[in-house]
Amino acid sequence: MATLKQPTGQKRLTNVAVVRLKKGGKRFEIACYPNKVVSWRNKVETDIDEVLQTHAVFSNVSKGEMAKTAELKKIFGTDNQTEICLQIIAKGELQVSEKERHAQLESMFKDIATIVSDKCVNPDTNRPYPVTLIETAMKDIHFSVKPTRSTKQQALEVIKQLTETDSINIQRAHMQLKITVPGKDGKKVREKVKKLATTVEQDDFSDDLEMVILVDPGCYREIHDIVVSATKGKGQFEVLNLKHVEEGDEMM
Amino acid sequence: MRTTTPEKLVQLQKNPSNIRNICILAHVDHGKTTLADSLVASNGIISQRMAGKLRYMDSREDEQTRGITMKSSAISLAVQRDAQEYLVNLIDSPGHVDFSSEVSTAVRLCDGAVVVVDVVEGVCPQTHAVLRQAWLENIKPVLVLNKLDRLIMELKMDPLEAFFHLQVLLEQVNLVTNELFTTEIMAKTSSQTDGAGQEKEKSKAVSNDWTIQADDEDEERNIFFSPTQGNVVFASAYDGWGFTLNHFADMFSKKLGIKKEVLQKTLWGDFYLNSKTKRIMKGAQSKVKKPLFVQFILENIWAVYESVSVNRDAEMTEKIVKSLGLKISPRDMRHNDPRMKLQAIMGQWLSVSRAVLDVVVEKLPSPLEISEDRVEKLMCSQSQNFLSFPKATQELKDAFISCSTSDNSPVILFVSKMFPVERKMLPQFKQRPLSEAEIQQRRQQARQRHLEKMSGPTDVVNEKTKDEEVTTSQGSTVTSNGTASAVNGGGAPSVEANGIAMEIKATKKEAEEEAPTVFVAFARIYSGTVKKGQKLYVLGPKHDPSQVEEGAVRVGQSVDDLGTHDHITAFTVSDLFLFMGRELEHMDDIPAGNILGIGGLEDHILKSGTVSSTVMCPAFTDFYLDASPIVRVALEPKHAGDMVHLVRGLKLLNQADPCVQVLVQETGEHVIITAGEVHLQRCLDDLRERYAKIGLHASSPIVPFRETIINPPKVDMVNEAVQDQPIKTARAKEFEDDEEVIETGLVEMYTTNQKCCIRIRAVSLPDAVTDLLEQNVNLLKTLHGLNRAKVYGQNSKVKDTGVKDKGVKDTVLEALSHFKSSLSKAFTEEGKTWTDVIDNIWAFGPKRVGPNVLLNRVEGYDRPSVWDIQGSEGLLRDFDSNIVSGFQLATIAGPLCEEPLRGVCFVIEKWEYLDMSYAKLARISESESDPKLTDLLSSSVEKNLIIEEVDEKCNDSDKEEDSCEEVKDVIKPQRKREYGPFSGQIISCVIAGCRKAFQTQPQRLMVAMYKCNIQANSDVLGKLYGVLGKRNGSILEGDMTEGSQTFNVVATLPVVESFGFAENIRKKTSGLASPQLVFSHWQVLDVDPFWVPTTEEEYLHFGEKADSDNKARHPNLVVNGEEGPEKPDKWFEGGYR
Repeated sequence: MATLKQPTGQKRLTNVAVVRLKKGGKRFEIACYPNKVVSWRNKVETDIDEVLQTHAVFSNVSKGEMAKTAELKKIFGTDNQTEICLQIIAKGELQVSEKERHAQLESMFKDIATIVSDKCVNPDTNRPYPVTLIETAMKDIHFSVKPTRSTKQQALEVIKQLTETDSINIQRAHMQLKITVPGKDGKKVREKVKKLATTVEQDDFSDDLEMVILVDPGCYREIHDIVVSATKGKGQFEVLNLKHVEEGDEMM
Repeated sequence: MRTTTPEKLVQLQKNPSNIRNICILAHVDHGKTTLADSLVASNGIISQRMAGKLRYMDSREDEQTRGITMKSSAISLAVQRDAQEYLVNLIDSPGHVDFSSEVSTAVRLCDGAVVVVDVVEGVCPQTHAVLRQAWLENIKPVLVLNKLDRLIMELKMDPLEAFFHLQVLLEQVNLVTNELFTTEIMAKTSSQTDGAGQEKEKSKAVSNDWTIQADDEDEERNIFFSPTQGNVVFASAYDGWGFTLNHFADMFSKKLGIKKEVLQKTLWGDFYLNSKTKRIMKGAQSKVKKPLFVQFILENIWAVYESVSVNRDAEMTEKIVKSLGLKISPRDMRHNDPRMKLQAIMGQWLSVSRAVLDVVVEKLPSPLEISEDRVEKLMCSQSQNFLSFPKATQELKDAFISCSTSDNSPVILFVSKMFPVERKMLPQFKQRPLSEAEIQQRRQQARQRHLEKMSGPTDVVNEKTKDEEVTTSQGSTVTSNGTASAVNGGGAPSVEANGIAMEIKATKKEAEEEAPTVFVAFARIYSGTVKKGQKLYVLGPKHDPSQVEEGAVRVGQSVDDLGTHDHITAFTVSDLFLFMGRELEHMDDIPAGNILGIGGLEDHILKSGTVSSTVMCPAFTDFYLDASPIVRVALEPKHAGDMVHLVRGLKLLNQADPCVQVLVQETGEHVIITAGEVHLQRCLDDLRERYAKIGLHASSPIVPFRETIINPPKVDMVNEAVQDQPIKTARAKEFEDDEEVIETGLVEMYTTNQKCCIRIRAVSLPDAVTDLLEQNVNLLKTLHGLNRAKVYGQNSKVKDTGVKDKGVKDTVLEALSHFKSSLSKAFTEEGKTWTDVIDNIWAFGPKRVGPNVLLNRVEGYDRPSVWDIQGSEGLLRDFDSNIVSGFQLATIAGPLCEEPLRGVCFVIEKWEYLDMSYAKLARISESESDPKLTDLLSSSVEKNLIIEEVDEKCNDSDKEEDSCEEVKDVIKPQRKREYGPFSGQIISCVIAGCRKAFQTQPQRLMVAMYKCNIQANSDVLGKLYGVLGKRNGSILEGDMTEGSQTFNVVATLPVVESFGFAENIRKKTSGLASPQLVFSHWQVLDVDPFWVPTTEEEYLHFGEKADSDNKARHPNLVVNGEEGPEKPDKWFEGGYR
């Protein structure tokens, strides 16, 4: 008797990414191409046909069950499948493939390193560190990227961690500020500002107070407030340089 | 056994007429080091048997393993000749192209050169190079034709063939010399504007370079190599034999009874011996006779080889040995390896060291014979006239020529390189066998120490210092614990006393740890006698003796103290050394004419320099470097924390290597530039194992790009003219329905709080203007500095700054006004749209000096232009500086890949406040022209005004709340809380506006281009063009240099393509062409990075996606892909179907 031959070990739907959306107590799925959903959401991909395998809405993709039109109409208020697909793509949940996730984390890691290298300097030379060096330093302190937080936030976190450990000598690049305060308020401001400033480049106090200082960018607000409040707005406040670093190449 | 002691060498040093300073030069693998080995063996420093295998001069480990020499090293040898003793200071040099800088350092110190040529390989590229170098440095060469054994054993030539082969080879070598000679004459005559009458005289002077003879004919012959002149040695360094015609002339004049002089002249050339008449006749070739050279010399040598190596005929060998009157030890005769036998026989018969040294002693000049020309060439560069020097300096020339060793004559030294030596290799630290007395002494100390220990804890420190004293006085370090700690702990004082403190100031701490390497200056003394403890001046390269007379010279203590106009430092000679190959010998004084090592110069000389006892001495001219460094790599430590070590290591490397360049780029990358891949490898090894001692990565450095916009192109990608409207790029289409975009290139932006409206237009700057701006970056910098100083000066009412300004003014202002006028000329030439631009320039950027312009076209805002230094800031509107900051930030990182912009002009066309409160304030501040009024909202006087305004205007509850709070709390301006300070909003608004305006235009990337100079001869020209073409280079010109066969090719090459270019081109042209790269300009890559095909032809040509051909997206361009975070996303959108 011929036995029933059942294909085992066959993996189906290998090239399909399923996006799910639960709405109105029902489950809806659409079939997409892998890798493309994320780029659609990032607006890198603009052609919907590149994203969707088919414009149909399923209740279960792997079993091939289509969603009932009545349900669609009831829950989405339309029976235009393409429109519903767009909604599902935008809001639905998606199993991100490992590679994709990996690539995303990698690029975030690089982004963070780039931001760090952009914001920081080597205090010895007052020059930025190359990105690759920051990356190794980040690996040294076992920094793990959180996909949910923004890269900038995480970069600030990294800077904090890096300055705490002594594996790398790093510092936020300083901001160059110019403060001009008319006579009588000058004294007060001067003392306060001096406390915050890392270096005072110029300090003239004849009639008016005029200072050029380098500060950590984190203190910007504080100084701003000091100047504004102490002088009741008469103080002048100007950012001369957002990032005070050495310029040009230097021969050794 | 060593036959020469240092003491003897000291004796020899005293007599300059018997000193020969020579170097061995050749192409790689032509046997320089082997030859040097033989010469060294002649002094018993190494065994004769090991000569040629040991490579004594290759002291580095990688030199030994790779089998090539990488550095030049010196040794002093004593030579006995005709009852006279000579001192030969021999410098062995590397042959590989990558190390040709080492050759330059060697050549500079010598008076003569031994040029070695492999008879099988013939004249090679480096042979050319070294001959040229010797020529340029005016030193006299002798020729050694090496590896004659290969003609016999490998090529199996018979003597006659070998003779013709040698003749041809000699002709080739002479051809090179001739070419050099003619090129120089050509150059001289072409530069000469005088009449033809003087030409002859000139050429006479030229040929004086090599000899001091006058006759034209003789000169010609003197610069050439000829065996009859005695300046050619035939040798096989490996087998240890070599001869000149002299040897055989001697030998056969006795045998044949022919005069030696006659034989000398006829042994080489077309002469034969008429056996009947016993007379030497001319025309051997035509009469099919054997030339004398073949008959008397080569055949004999061939016979030896035949019997010993080929036939292994013991009897015959015996016979030959007997007839030559040699004594060969039975051990050698019984040796199984015929080579050993051969070496024993030939080495005794025709010792190569004797032959070479004889020629050296006889033909090469002593330091006394230094020619006037050479002195002048050393003392002043070609552009300067020797006679322009002050008199005292000119008198020094006599000191050079007389080479006097007396104490009265001035000391003049030239340091050609700094030579790293491991500390423990220094003589004073070297372990010596202890004498009996010392052992006694030490034993006693140990006993004493033991006693002290037993008697209880005494002052440990005291004990230690005692310990130190002992060790230092003995001048030897022994490995016992106690002394090791003494070196560590007490190192600092003794180190300083010796003047070998490596680190300067900042790294004093490091010095305590004892730097493992010390730098010894590799120098030649031209006049006087240098003594230990003597105080000398180090003269920097820019030192000019004529300034001394004006008395404007300050002497600094180390290079660090020097200002920009001081070029002299003083130092005390701490150590003097004699180079003995791998070792150094300590000396107390060294007289003129010698090559020596000096300790204690690290802090004073970087790579090379002049040292003298008088400040009147000019700095010697830089030597001629054949290969300039071109291979660039970026280095970074494996562990981020090792950065400090890397930097220190790089500093040491920079000092130790004459050809390496180290620089820190603006990006913070440490880049080293080396002469080639082999050189790079050596530098990396050095850093890893010697200088930095850390793990390293080397990567290709980041290549900079620029972003720009262009005028809409007239043709599309398939070179069809664009018919309808300028093509809308895919990018531009995106902005079509963006309401902020008014038209292409013009956008209107609002600040986040909707209070201010700014309209920005982006236009591309004309090329001429951009170039002009780029060339005058420094001028712009001073302009900016002046502007700022002015503002300060007025604000603080300090008058001295004004005074200072005036000093600057005269020189700078003139340059500035000139620049301004040329800039306005460039603008007006570009057409009507640019006519009134010059006075409306608001700022330059990025960094306030770049090639981008911010223009003011705001109606009713009559802002003083950037030129107006006098411009009172009262005329400026508030937030003016914020607009500028926004512009600066926008230009420093463009939207394409976060690279700086170039050649973009942003025009601010509208700047309005929608909220009346701001407008009013602005008006008030304008009318009152109160400069201090920036932060309007918090000024209490105006506060009331604002509140009134606000109350009137604002209806929504939010604002009311604000104003209420403001009334309560005057100090804290609530409105700011919403979106941050208003100034910040303006900045970000301007940035966004500039970016958008930029993006609506056709954007382009710009790539950096190298200008590439290549010298090549006609044979390899085709291959050269091939390599250039493959790497997207374009040839600008390719002219033939007059009087020679070389072509001078000038091409441009994108920087991204330059990695591996040097190596590639050398390989392809077998080393006959080596390029030099200099940055030249930025070039627009004329492809839209966002281009997609639109017309039918384009679809046909490129396909639907067309992502394969877009040069602007070529992976090569994203070498530094991680640079801009957005780049990979935008350009390489992943995802496959």
